[in-house]
Amino acid sequence: MIAPYLARQATTFPSPAQMYYRCNLPQPLAYSPLSLGSTVSNVAIPMLAALRSRFFLSTSPSSSFIHRSWKLGFSGSSHTFFSSNVESSSSNKGLLDINEVENVLKDVRADDVKVIPVGKHCDWADYMVVATGRSTWHVKNIAQALIYKAKEKQRGAQRMMLPSLEGQEGGKWIVIDSGKVIIHALDEKARAYYNLEDLWTSGMPPKEPVQDLEKAFVKIRPKNNSKRRAERHA
Amino acid sequence: MIQSQTHLNVADNSGARELMCIRIIGTSNRRYAHIGDVIVAVIKEAAPNSPLERSEVIRAVIVRTCKELKRDNGMIIRYDDNAAVVIDQEGNPKGTRIL
Repeated sequence: MIAPYLARQATTFPSPAQMYYRCNLPQPLAYSPLSLGSTVSNVAIPMLAALRSRFFLSTSPSSSFIHRSWKLGFSGSSHTFFSSNVESSSSNKGLLDINEVENVLKDVRADDVKVIPVGKHCDWADYMVVATGRSTWHVKNIAQALIYKAKEKQRGAQRMMLPSLEGQEGGKWIVIDSGKVIIHALDEKARAYYNLEDLWTSGMPPKEPVQDLEKAFVKIRPKNNSKRRAERHA
Repeated sequence: MIQSQTHLNVADNSGARELMCIRIIGTSNRRYAHIGDVIVAVIKEAAPNSPLERSEVIRAVIVRTCKELKRDNGMIIRYDDNAAVVIDQEGNPKGTRIL
């Protein structure tokens, strides 16, 4: 419903006054978190400011550029604009993608690779990859190969961000944490013992200590067991 | 702030129920241990029919403390009890699930 409106505007060059007028019109149609429960004028002014800044920034605008920038302004969220900026800057080159991980594990010849999607019941990871090594040396080698792949991806960069490693000294269970993908490299005995597939496929681990965190933030007035009366706060 | 003679709960299914801290691993003469430190502990109470028995000396890593943990971003984390997870010499947990 908004798209044909924008397409019509992309062809002509309206004056700022016209832009203000048009800005007011699609208010009830456009979804913006700012407009919930606020008057039209309250929302129009920051949106107009955003529109004006983008209008002045574009020196020789092609129609597609105007189309894009107005669409961002009309969707009412200069805050979606900022969040997309943040995502692009924090998407790390050193973090491994799930396909790259599978390729590396195939090269290293790891046994019994299982990928478990945990995005639904786990907010800090999207995939858990569990792989087996034939010996402790093999398990260490799997970890080294993944780190090497991350290093290769960032060849020539000034700062290298590598996925974090745990358990490298004893070669029984090594965890590599690269953002949304977490790789567990175990040997066969450890895999049978810890049984990670059961843990991650049967729903979240039952007791999350989030409750403790909520309790921890509550301010508790200390009990005054001494005979001396407590001093009043100013 | 866990020191020797401190009793800690066990936060996994390894079979032990309560530990008493004996020593803090790390630099010599260290007074207190916080979350993330490895301690040497003796099992004071164990669940029946478990591989771990009472008065067995094991290592553990501290996971919850009543003393607050301060992070650099200003976040403070404080629990209601002291708890640890039983580990072996290499650092791998002895139990299979963390509670």
